[in-house]
Amino acid sequence: MSRLTPPVTERDHALGPADARVTLVEFGDYECPHCGALHALIHSAQKAFGGNLRFVFRHLPLRSSHPHALPAAKAAEAAGAQGKFWEMHDRLYQRQSELTDEDLKRHARVAGVDADRFEQELKERTHEARIREDMTSAAESGAKGTPSLFINGEAYAGPLEREELFEALAHAAVAAKS
Amino acid sequence: MAQQSKEAARAAVREIGRLTVIRLTLYYVMAGVLLLCLSALLPSDAIRPSGGGQPPTDITGAIEWFRGQVAMFPGGAPRWLDALFQMISAFLLVLPLAFVYVRTRTRVKFDHSLVQTVIVLPIVVTAILVVVRDSLALAFSLAGIVAAVRFRNNLKESGDAVYIFGSIGIGFATGIHAISVAAVLSVVFVVVELALWKFDFSAEFDRTFARLCLPGGADLAELQAMRDGAKPMESGDDGEEKRSVTLQVYVDKVADARPRIEAILDRDAKRWTLEDVVDGNGVSPRLTYRVRAKKSIGMEGLRERLLREGAPHVVAADEPPPKS
Repeated sequence: MSRLTPPVTERDHALGPADARVTLVEFGDYECPHCGALHALIHSAQKAFGGNLRFVFRHLPLRSSHPHALPAAKAAEAAGAQGKFWEMHDRLYQRQSELTDEDLKRHARVAGVDADRFEQELKERTHEARIREDMTSAAESGAKGTPSLFINGEAYAGPLEREELFEALAHAAVAAKS
Repeated sequence: MAQQSKEAARAAVREIGRLTVIRLTLYYVMAGVLLLCLSALLPSDAIRPSGGGQPPTDITGAIEWFRGQVAMFPGGAPRWLDALFQMISAFLLVLPLAFVYVRTRTRVKFDHSLVQTVIVLPIVVTAILVVVRDSLALAFSLAGIVAAVRFRNNLKESGDAVYIFGSIGIGFATGIHAISVAAVLSVVFVVVELALWKFDFSAEFDRTFARLCLPGGADLAELQAMRDGAKPMESGDDGEEKRSVTLQVYVDKVADARPRIEAILDRDAKRWTLEDVVDGNGVSPRLTYRVRAKKSIGMEGLRERLLREGAPHVVAADEPPPKS
């Protein structure tokens, strides 16, 4: 079974306490419909597991099939540079059909991002290196498609259904405690 | 707030409407005038001679005098014409019942054959009574015929039976020349049926209980708790069942976690009941409850407390969406 490489560090976008019993890492693409469906499920998991769960997101834009995925990832990173990564992340997944350049600027405005800086960083491709790092991490971890999940560092190959995913998270939480 | 909007929605849906009231009132006035004219033109019995050219001063005498003046058949209408008049009366007086039925039923509950039955039934009942009238032998024959024929039909709603009975009642009254009684029955039926529908009387147990059994301004929730007594939910308590939600609590060890969880539920839930325990068989241990959280805490608050105070035994507290 493939392991997450490199492990989660402070550079990652993470929600939840660092000492949570379970760390769930997603390699995701903002234009992927399955990732969109998973987004709601992860929100439910965060509610259900509370402080026992830390969620980490890494980019894996599938450029061949999703032309808007990479610009969306850059937009999320540009928003993240201003401390608004998760606001932008949520907005992008909630509006997966609105990912044109104009849409991204609008989302950034709504998320409370400084528009000038946002546009400047996109123009200068400031965050491409970071996205590339995430993509390299996906390749090293064996994540070929999206969404790819890792629970406490181990690849999750089960169905992306509520019951199965929660079961796997709970199992990992109990295993981490003992 | 949500309750208020629910009430508003209900009120909006159950609006009788001024047009309906005006239509019904106009219809009854016109039908009443028509029936009065017909009863004057086609008297069932011979009219007493009025005696003079001037109408009497008392009302009964004046009506009799008027009937004597306009009657087409002062000696009493022929039997077939009298029967026709009674059937027309039955038809006119039962139409509002059919209208109310259509007005108060949803598309799902609506039964078009019942509307036709309600309209035709009083005419048939009237005809039967015209035939049977005063004849004991015919009445017994009728009883025999009715006993021999099996009527078996499932009504969509138990309330539909009332329309059948109402229609029979109107037919009975017109069949024995008690047209005024049929008219009163028709009006009262329509008013009561519309009022019950409008106020959705007894649709919800809690609302009905509050209206009929509690003093004004009483806190229904508290009195309900007092009335129902014990905290764990009673089986078959449908209202409670609807308000409660499923709570799935993932734990490390059932034996350690359960007392702690249930102590929290005792404190923070209005009602709860344990539905399922999964322990072993290679799956994560979990306890499934039906829970109604206290209003002041809410489900969100209850889940947070379970996670915080149930630690380290409680791993997750999930509120899965209801299965469709």
